[in-house]
Amino acid sequence: MIYKRSELGEGIGFTSIVDEKFKSCVLAVYFLTESDEKTAALNNLSTGVLSVSNSRYTSYASLCEKLSELYGASVGSIARKKGDAQILGLSASWLDDRYAIDGEDISGEMLSIVCDCLFAPNVQNGAFDSESFAMVKKDLLDNISAEFNQKRSYALTRAIQTAYRGEPAAIMEYGTKEAVLSSTAEEAYSAYKELLKTAKIEIYLVSPTEKPKFSDMFRESFAKLDRTPKDVNMRNHSPLKAEVETVSEEYDVNQCKAVFNFKTDSDDRYALKMLSIIYGELPFSKLFLNVREKLSLCYYCTSRSISVKGAFFVDCGVERKNIEKAKDEILAQLEEIKKGNISDTEIQGTLLALDNAVSQVGDSPSSYVHWYADCFFENDYYTPEEHFRRFCDVTKERIIAAANSLKLDSIYLMLNKEVQE
Amino acid sequence: MEKEILTSDRTGDSCIHVKHSSGLDIYICEMPGFSGVEALFGTKYGSVNTMFRTAADSDYTTVPEGIAHFLEHKLFENEDCGVFELYAQTGASGNAYTSFDKTVYLFNCSRNYEENLKILLDFVQKPYFTKENVDKEMGIIGQEIKMTNDNPEWRVFFNMLRAMYHAHPVKIDIAGTVESIEKIDAELLYKCYDTFYNLNNMVLSISGNISADKVLEICDQCLKPCTDKGLETVFPPEPDDIVEPEIHEVQPIGTSIFNLGYKCAPASGIQRLKAVSAASIVSSLLTDPALPMCKRLLRDEVINSTFNCEVFYGDGYFTVIFSGEADEPQLIREAVFEEIDRLINEGIDEKDFQRVKKSAYGVMVRELNNVEAVASLMLNAYMENVSPYDAISIMSEITCGDVIEFMRSQLRRDRCVLSVIETEA
Repeated sequence: MIYKRSELGEGIGFTSIVDEKFKSCVLAVYFLTESDEKTAALNNLSTGVLSVSNSRYTSYASLCEKLSELYGASVGSIARKKGDAQILGLSASWLDDRYAIDGEDISGEMLSIVCDCLFAPNVQNGAFDSESFAMVKKDLLDNISAEFNQKRSYALTRAIQTAYRGEPAAIMEYGTKEAVLSSTAEEAYSAYKELLKTAKIEIYLVSPTEKPKFSDMFRESFAKLDRTPKDVNMRNHSPLKAEVETVSEEYDVNQCKAVFNFKTDSDDRYALKMLSIIYGELPFSKLFLNVREKLSLCYYCTSRSISVKGAFFVDCGVERKNIEKAKDEILAQLEEIKKGNISDTEIQGTLLALDNAVSQVGDSPSSYVHWYADCFFENDYYTPEEHFRRFCDVTKERIIAAANSLKLDSIYLMLNKEVQE
Repeated sequence: MEKEILTSDRTGDSCIHVKHSSGLDIYICEMPGFSGVEALFGTKYGSVNTMFRTAADSDYTTVPEGIAHFLEHKLFENEDCGVFELYAQTGASGNAYTSFDKTVYLFNCSRNYEENLKILLDFVQKPYFTKENVDKEMGIIGQEIKMTNDNPEWRVFFNMLRAMYHAHPVKIDIAGTVESIEKIDAELLYKCYDTFYNLNNMVLSISGNISADKVLEICDQCLKPCTDKGLETVFPPEPDDIVEPEIHEVQPIGTSIFNLGYKCAPASGIQRLKAVSAASIVSSLLTDPALPMCKRLLRDEVINSTFNCEVFYGDGYFTVIFSGEADEPQLIREAVFEEIDRLINEGIDEKDFQRVKKSAYGVMVRELNNVEAVASLMLNAYMENVSPYDAISIMSEITCGDVIEFMRSQLRRDRCVLSVIETEA
């Protein structure tokens, strides 16, 4: 594998990873900006439009037709959040030229498509093409309505909104439904121009052979733009509420959901991650063994550490009559860790699981992208091996300290409408 | 032990197939340059196998719905410890799943694959069921069933199957119901285990950073030879027609969703693979935003980007299912009916046909990039009684005529079911 990162301009990084074992190529262009209620919806819609048409393929139909001719190549948009930041962008993937039956230059075609999507978008009179914009807007509105279709992720979203209320991290990756509804194609295009000007931009290309034309294209295209990138601070610990807040909502569902949010003032993200594994991420974790296997209360009961926000979540699906019992056991297992009840076997199992995960970075083109993008977001460049070494340095005492730093902040309950016992 | 090397003429990829003396079929794909290993140990036993007998049985045994899935849960408990404790000592990520026609135990790891393979082969061959550990599982699986009952995609799909199949057990939920699993006990689990977990009915598929010789050496050590018991599974007779053309349910959801499914004739082996290839081309053509039907439905905001089509098939069932979010799915049904008629009458544009074929080829080749996908490809080939690379060859040979014939004979309006989950008013 050959890894190269270069600066193409101010606040623009380009990473090329060449790994000859792959049969396909992946490109990801990230725009990093602060989450802001005023711009979140427009940013989301603008990068959405980039992926459905451009000035050469002026309709979704014509772009799709071209991509399927290129052996099912794909172009998609990126819109998510991390901490207090909004991450937007464009992704693409395609079959490597070696496998083209008729000898087509797939990579060359994709270079040109991506270039047009980003730098020659489908714009008339200072606004995105109305048909493309309307399609993306409908899609996003439907996605927002469909959030409630997935009860577990909906409960987690509600828990996050409760935990981070008033902070940028509480803003959805699409802003609000109202903001999406009132957005225009003109405003979305202006928002895109602002992203090009002010966002931090990081680009990743993974391919089986070197493709220098991509970095040349990005360098030349960005050189024509006037840029004043703004720093983004995604790592802001969320303050602990003065009193534990419980939000309960009743729906006509079969299974109740409970999400517990803890806050921490600890910056020891390595110890917090190991704590989360020992506590509730894997089938040998305390929550699995006790809440599920011993007490048979839940099918799933898991934890996750969100270190950029100093937050820690536990979520489970449970009978309404068993919510208190589950809560007691979840808190009791955390108390066990706080008291130091962690075996060497648990620590060793955690390290082996982490080693297993980091060792497979590089087994797919997208795993490279995720790895190096995470390094960029954390502003901390390290190899998977170095990352694992940092976990190995974590002592039992640091894990106990991380557990003791957790304070219950808020609880979200999705309740069914059955009569309480 | 019979050993053969299977190769794709198109891509040059290859894997090894071994018929092991224990009775087990083994597929191995060494993937240089990759770090991970994926191993799947599967049996041809899923939720549809509710009625069976062996050569030694005079009568058929009928078992409660959801028992294959229940058995999968319980196999993770050894007499002395849980399987996850063993994987925790090696770092592997272990899991399992039960589908309609198979149960698969798997691990993924980047180190110690030899040890992990021994754990996998050992625990799947060593059941331990007691009244206590069976009773304990009721609550956990009960919660799993309730969770899936709140999943509208799951509901819309099973409602469609219930409206499509009169008798075939594909219409039964994989995990059964809270009531049906109460009938399961240790004795029944052993009966099912002894019948279906016979190595002659099973496959090991392993890919990634491995040595084929080492894998076979471990198999020689760990596999307990089995006698073929002459397993026979039966399904109740299933008429060609459907139960009802439309089924609706109201759920607390944010966006209405639908499944529009065609009941097709079941097939097996290469014939099924040919039908799957033809159905895949149809599904690509009808969901292609470049073609008139999809273009119009998108423009009129009848569909959104979730509009999709998949081919769903197994032992005794075969369906082509359109799905997505929509407020007026009846309009989509009308459009699909008309487009299929048009394609049958006017033919498929050769340029579109070649484009869609190319796209399908690209997707298949890209799958070979991935350790997990290669292991699944080999496992499914065994389950379907074909070679892992047959799908690429068949796709390259399929003609417009084959696709039109599939539409004409299989995609009949009177065998189409529309299932809708609607939002509360």
